[in-house]
Amino acid sequence: MAEASLCVQGIRKHFGGVSVLEDVSFAAPAGGLSGMIGPNGAGKSTLFAIVTGFQAGDGGSVLFKGQDVTALPTVQRVRLGMARTFQVPREFGSLTVRENLMAAAPGQAGEKLRNVFFRPGWIRAEEAAIAAAAEEWLAFLNLERVADAPASSLSGGQRKLLELGRALMVRPAMILLDEPFAGVNPVLVGEISERIRELSAKGIGFLIVEHNLAALSRLVDRLFVLDRGRLLAEGAPAEVLADAAVREAYMGGSA
Amino acid sequence: MLSYLLAVAVVALIYSLMTLALNLQFGFTGLINFGVVGFFAIGAYTSALLSQAGLPLELTLPCAALAAGLAAWPVALLSLRLRIEYFAIVMLGYAETIRLVISQEEWLTGGVRGLPGIASLSVGLGIPGDPTLVAFALALACVVGAVLVSRRLVHSPFGRMIQAIRDDEDAVRALGKSPGRFKVAVFVVSCLFVGLSGGLYAHYITYLAPDQFGALLTFYIWVAMILGGAGSVGGALVGSAILLGFIEGSRFLHDLLPGVSAVEMSSVRLGVIGLSMMLLMRFRPQGLLGGKAGCG
Amino acid sequence: MGFSLFANLAFNGLITGLVVSLLALSITLVFGIARFPNAAAGDVATVGAFAGLLGPLAGGGTLWIILCGMAAGALLSVAFYFLLFRPLAGKSAVSSLIASIGMAFFVRAALTFFLGHDQRVYPLPIVRAMPVGPLRVQPTDIEIVVAAVLALAAVFSILHLTPIGKRMRAVADNAELARVSGIRANRVLVAMWLIAGLLAGLSGTLLGVKTVVSPEMGWDLLMPAFAATILGTIGNPVGAVLGGVLIGLAQELSTPFVGFTYKLGVGFLVLLVTLLIRPQGLFAKNSLVR
Repeated sequence: MAEASLCVQGIRKHFGGVSVLEDVSFAAPAGGLSGMIGPNGAGKSTLFAIVTGFQAGDGGSVLFKGQDVTALPTVQRVRLGMARTFQVPREFGSLTVRENLMAAAPGQAGEKLRNVFFRPGWIRAEEAAIAAAAEEWLAFLNLERVADAPASSLSGGQRKLLELGRALMVRPAMILLDEPFAGVNPVLVGEISERIRELSAKGIGFLIVEHNLAALSRLVDRLFVLDRGRLLAEGAPAEVLADAAVREAYMGGSA
Repeated sequence: MLSYLLAVAVVALIYSLMTLALNLQFGFTGLINFGVVGFFAIGAYTSALLSQAGLPLELTLPCAALAAGLAAWPVALLSLRLRIEYFAIVMLGYAETIRLVISQEEWLTGGVRGLPGIASLSVGLGIPGDPTLVAFALALACVVGAVLVSRRLVHSPFGRMIQAIRDDEDAVRALGKSPGRFKVAVFVVSCLFVGLSGGLYAHYITYLAPDQFGALLTFYIWVAMILGGAGSVGGALVGSAILLGFIEGSRFLHDLLPGVSAVEMSSVRLGVIGLSMMLLMRFRPQGLLGGKAGCG
Repeated sequence: MGFSLFANLAFNGLITGLVVSLLALSITLVFGIARFPNAAAGDVATVGAFAGLLGPLAGGGTLWIILCGMAAGALLSVAFYFLLFRPLAGKSAVSSLIASIGMAFFVRAALTFFLGHDQRVYPLPIVRAMPVGPLRVQPTDIEIVVAAVLALAAVFSILHLTPIGKRMRAVADNAELARVSGIRANRVLVAMWLIAGLLAGLSGTLLGVKTVVSPEMGWDLLMPAFAATILGTIGNPVGAVLGGVLIGLAQELSTPFVGFTYKLGVGFLVLLVTLLIRPQGLFAKNSLVR
């Protein structure tokens, strides 16, 4: 197997007496396009939250770029290069689209108050550089026209793109996308897929948790299937989808 | 009449320093501070007591700001640990406790008898002229300064981040940034304004007593901020002018309204504040002018 | 400072603690179901205490005072639910919290405008305290304990034994689940505000029986009641009651050491220390904090 970027080992999670995740392990290769599917209630959201550090698991470990990040909070995982988006986009509604992206730039000197008041020249220069980076991603994501609109005025699909842009500003090694196609019109699904492919070609790894099986299987080169808290299958999309157990779990055997 | 208007304007300016501070805390960052009056009291008593100990006002006023900022520090750290509702209530209790200490520690604060004979701004700073006019000029200068500081802060990358925190804290974490550092900084810096406001107040009124620092004052400031629109620096000033003009004006109004005693007038003030808090929340949470944030 | 002093302080602490518990239970019920800390609870208690002054017109004794107080508390509580809190239900908890503080001010303003700031006392016969072991017990103390315990028993019976009470607890445990399972929220809310008002009114009258009736009594009772609510984990009825008794005991037992004024601060101190150790209160089901 190629060098793994994200390696999840033996993750378990219980809520009350209900077991949501039982010993889930998988590895997403560096720079690759990995996808995860599973029926509702399979534990995808919980797994996503544990991998990104928004929830603590009851057991198991998460390794990122060879480093054990299980005990690290979200903020530090992101600083190591693990960015994420949200299933329901969580844009900063009162900021403009451009400001949303600029806010995401890491390590800004202008986020320290003493620099704000005593080093205005430095901050102006820094802001120009951040604005230029944001401009590039805005163009890449086709958000230039709405760059100065408040983020709360965007459509659902544009919000997904905005979140992707914000994640890109972090300069991540890997981006975890939580249902990027949910509630997005088919045209935009194609566009988002295309952007993901281009980014992958630039060396950014992706792990995409998704409900839209058709769009996902066309996009990724490795597919994981989660069912009732267990990893049911993994492999190339074509193989996995041919698997009888997967068809049983995911499509109720009807397909 | 003019001198009366001027007197009201001074208090309105002093209060609008607090409105600007609360606006940074709640309007821009989403931090709930129900203890504004506590920091105001700390500023007022700090400056008054230091000046009575012989320090010049040029020093006691900055000390008032610093003392309030210092008192805000542990509270700000606490806000990171507690749920927002818990923190709101803890802040109410914090301010009440400060008032309790003031009324109890007579050796220091004069207790409930109060602290009379505080140097006025014009005398303390040695500026000749009408004391009210001097106070007005000074308060105005402080407000202008606070507005400039607020605007610089809000329109900086720091300001962008606090608004992001207000909009969605988890999304900020997902960008690899800890909201905590920003919240603490905003809380402490804006409490500097509140402390300065307290210092000005002490040397303008020249008499301090614990009953000037009841929880009601905190909510004067809240109503002023919401009226002007949370998340708008200019709105904070307009809100203060409307509301505090009325509040202060009503102190003199009972002269004009025969049959309504001063005590009844204080009930009317309390009632108007209460009613406007309910009506604003119900019908115009975004304020009269419509800020970016609102309370909805 | 002998044993009998502390025994008497503890007894007094228990009584004030019960009064605090009643208000804390009112606050915690509102929080559990309407999801905001109701700062108007204290002033509803004040209205109850003032309404208690009408008791002697209806009939003699503590019972009528209490009944008038509870009726007034319930009426006010349900009225403000319809006028204020129901329209605010879809907005943030902060909106409702600010509105509830506004309501507290407005109610107190109306009271002081029409009735003035004077303290009043219920026209109850003055009876000498009876010695019970080391304790000096007023007959009204017994009445307060009995009334409070009966009320707490009634509320917990309602919560655990009646269909509407079970629905209340279901909503409190999981609003989403309750909504999906089709619980008629409006009836639950009306019942909840009714009980919250009865409890606040009772708390006010009992405080009036124990001490005096004044326009500020409810606001002053609010802080210890909030402290008790948070101490017992906000939304947890049993926790609120235990928290109330704990706060009452801490306040009274600390009096010889910190003086009369600071005993109000003791409640706050207890709250602060608890929150520093357990940010979710003493009775949190799961103390998961990020």
